[in-house]
Amino acid sequence: MKKNELSHENIKHLLNHSVAQLERPTLTRLRHAREQAMARYTARYVEPVFARAGHAVWHAFGAQHKSRLWATTLLLAIILFSATAYWNHIAKSDTADVDIAILTGDLPIHFYVD
Amino acid sequence: MYLIRRHLFAFSVAVFLFLPAIAGAQTWEDLTPVQQEALAPLSKEWNTLRTLQKQRLINMAKRYPQLNTVQKQRLHNRLEKWSKLTPEQRDRAREKFQAFSKVPLAKREQVKQMVRQQEAEKLNTPASDPAITDTP
Repeated sequence: MKKNELSHENIKHLLNHSVAQLERPTLTRLRHAREQAMARYTARYVEPVFARAGHAVWHAFGAQHKSRLWATTLLLAIILFSATAYWNHIAKSDTADVDIAILTGDLPIHFYVD
Repeated sequence: MYLIRRHLFAFSVAVFLFLPAIAGAQTWEDLTPVQQEALAPLSKEWNTLRTLQKQRLINMAKRYPQLNTVQKQRLHNRLEKWSKLTPEQRDRAREKFQAFSKVPLAKREQVKQMVRQQEAEKLNTPASDPAITDTP
């Protein structure tokens, strides 16, 4: 059973041997067919959604090196601004300790309100 | 297929952007019994409160089980007035509270005593507010 099985090396050897025996016009036709098949495969390939969105943004800023640099800087600035705003929002939201102290303390609320 | 993917992407972005609002959309019925008990004075107006205010009140309600009876009563007496303040007034009150906390204890006690006296005079009845009766 093992003897009948072909290893990768055997297959490669057989294919190379067969190719060597083919005539030049046949080889040319085969190469064309392969190129056409590869072209069709590339056209069918669909980019992932985020990659496509990224490319769209990228092209909107143009292919110039300076534009890309600006786009990257702008993106970084947006990310930094968003992160800072979110952090401030979270920090500001955590007022439970102070609120409960005001609402349950000895002094009435109007003492703290203008 | 392309359109489905595009719509799916747009939907995901919309969900991501509105996630905080969706998470904060808690109705009165969504609250636990303890939270409802803590925030009982606000039951009628709860659904009209802003998301951030709701979140802060819910955070505050987590401390409710640790309060003593007098503190619970004070909380209930003051909650409605507190919720009617503007966000700026509440922020200012927090700042003033934190500033007052840094005042030396003796001075703080003096101020408290003074405020108690003023409150008692205003009400013309001695020690009727829990803020006045429960002095440590």
